Amino acid sequence: MTIILFDGLIYASVLAVLCVGLSLTYKITSVPNFAHTSFAILGMYMALIMSKVLGMSVYLALPVAFAASGALALFMYYGIIRILQKKKSSLISLIIATLAFDMFMIGVLNIIADGIRNTYQVNSRDFTLRSLDIVIGGDGGLPLVFIVTMVLLAGLAFGLYYLLYRTSFGMSMRGAIENESLAQTLGINTRTIFCFAWFLSGGLAGMAGVLMSMWFQGDPSLAAIMLPSIFAGSIVGGFSSVYGAILGGLLVGISEVVGTSVLIDLLGYWVIPYRPVIPFIAMIVTLLVLPGGLIQLITKYKKRKNITMKKAEEEKEGSKEEEDGVGA
Amino acid sequence: MALDPAVIFIGDLVAIFSVYLIINLSLNLEFGFAGVPNFGKVLAVAAGAFVMGTIPFMMFGILVDYGGLEPVDDNIMLVHQINAYISAHPESVLGVFVVTLIVAVAVGGLLGLASAYPAIRLRGDYLAITLLGFGEIIRIVGINHTPLVGGTLGISIPDMLAFMPNEYRFLTASFVLLAFAGVIYLLVARFTKSPVGRLLRATRDDDLALQTLGRDHVKIKFKVMMLAGMLGAVGGVMYASYVEGVVAFGYDRLNWTFLPFVMIIVGGMANNKGVLVGTLLFVAIRKLVIYYNDSLDGLLPFDIIWLDYLALGGLMILVLIFRPHGILPERPQKTESLEKG
Repeated sequence: MTIILFDGLIYASVLAVLCVGLSLTYKITSVPNFAHTSFAILGMYMALIMSKVLGMSVYLALPVAFAASGALALFMYYGIIRILQKKKSSLISLIIATLAFDMFMIGVLNIIADGIRNTYQVNSRDFTLRSLDIVIGGDGGLPLVFIVTMVLLAGLAFGLYYLLYRTSFGMSMRGAIENESLAQTLGINTRTIFCFAWFLSGGLAGMAGVLMSMWFQGDPSLAAIMLPSIFAGSIVGGFSSVYGAILGGLLVGISEVVGTSVLIDLLGYWVIPYRPVIPFIAMIVTLLVLPGGLIQLITKYKKRKNITMKKAEEEKEGSKEEEDGVGA
Repeated sequence: MALDPAVIFIGDLVAIFSVYLIINLSLNLEFGFAGVPNFGKVLAVAAGAFVMGTIPFMMFGILVDYGGLEPVDDNIMLVHQINAYISAHPESVLGVFVVTLIVAVAVGGLLGLASAYPAIRLRGDYLAITLLGFGEIIRIVGINHTPLVGGTLGISIPDMLAFMPNEYRFLTASFVLLAFAGVIYLLVARFTKSPVGRLLRATRDDDLALQTLGRDHVKIKFKVMMLAGMLGAVGGVMYASYVEGVVAFGYDRLNWTFLPFVMIIVGGMANNKGVLVGTLLFVAIRKLVIYYNDSLDGLLPFDIIWLDYLALGGLMILVLIFRPHGILPERPQKTESLEKG
């Protein structure tokens, strides 16, 4: 039972971190990035290199993966997306370009994996670094990776809130996202902001990859396997909202792990390979029932609340005026 | 009599070219003309191949006494038995193959409709994501549902040309495939030249304008998805019957979704001749790379399988940046009133 709890929470949090990055770049460039998982796989191999090849603590891989995957995302934005946008390519061309970059990265990551195996005789496929992790309280205790994952997600949620709503950089960032040219006329350097966002998106994915390989497995094929889950999480949350992405990622991740274990009890072990169907169904249902995602539900509720409050105020004022009128 | 290696090379080239031509024409119809980004082209192709992996066994089951053999479990023995029957009764193939094609076309069309349904009214990117997901799902089902096409190991299927003598069989298969591709090419070329072709382009370019003229762009997209699904399934049937087997692992995103996209974008979108050029170019290059595999292996510092990913991915990006309209760009369609000018 505790294993399922750890599995579910770690997977869901990792997924949520990935979804945040995906939604962030989608909101900024309005391109769904099909190469987003390859940033995470790069992080996984950073973890493998740091721990098994260089013999350092695997937690040191977190900042390294952040930098490496962030740089890769930045390269993708500058080298491909921005050039295509300047050439006024259609949205579909941009999407195909991200898919092409994903294919290219699958090749690169597999070559890295082969290289590590051939040069250092380290298993580089379907590897797990779980045995290197510190478990607090001995066997069956609390694994450190669980705490780190939770802290990362919570830090991300608060950090993003602070960044976006409490700093002037965040305010110009929100402005640039809402209306790029208007922000530029106000003297905001939108290019720096977009670069920062892409770097952050890639870096977060890299860290998620490190954490993934410390509890589950790391393999280049995960890029294709996890992609539908991440898109499902982002879409369930409402594709262009960062907070929606956290919600959607957690929801999809937990339902994937818990749903599979429930279905195993009900139907038997043959359902395990069909696990990716669960997030896919969640995505389809969202698109059919609530295309704006969970965040649409929340904003609707808020708006309704605001409207009813305003109405109540107006009625109050109105009745006051009437009273005044009567008085006069 | 053994065939000359050069003949084998050309025969195989023609067969693979024909298969990809059918698939690319269908993708061009939905993506090039109508603007539906079908990132799950593999769905229709795999569906066709899976139908080819199941229906012939059922059909021959009526004609031949299997004696308790199962299509998946006793695959080799059963295929051997059916092939012997085919060599004795060549006329049976016609019926079985036609029924298989009809079933495949029906399944492909239905899957085209079903996969488009959730997101066809939304923006193109949502549709692309949903279709990509469908493409992944059919692969998972094929690999894990063993009774369908033998799961991870795959299955052999009866040779539809088992009645031919060995030395003619190979080239006849290539010829039949080429004939199918040729007929489909002519039909699609005719179709896209007709007013329907203009309707599809209009759907792609400006659905709002189309709606003001009283056309429902969603309905048109549904229809084109269905048609392209049917053609894609035909491509899948052709490929499976050519290689005489179905291995679900083979129906991946690189070979049956991404490669067709590369072919039609490099060749020229919304231009059937461009599709012809692009398909021929890539099939030939890939064939040559496989042919000179051994001598290339020493030159590269990595395993040659990954060259496919690097080269295709890199090339696609370069083409999108430097030559987005392809070798043969789309041409304005000549109508009578335009020519009168």
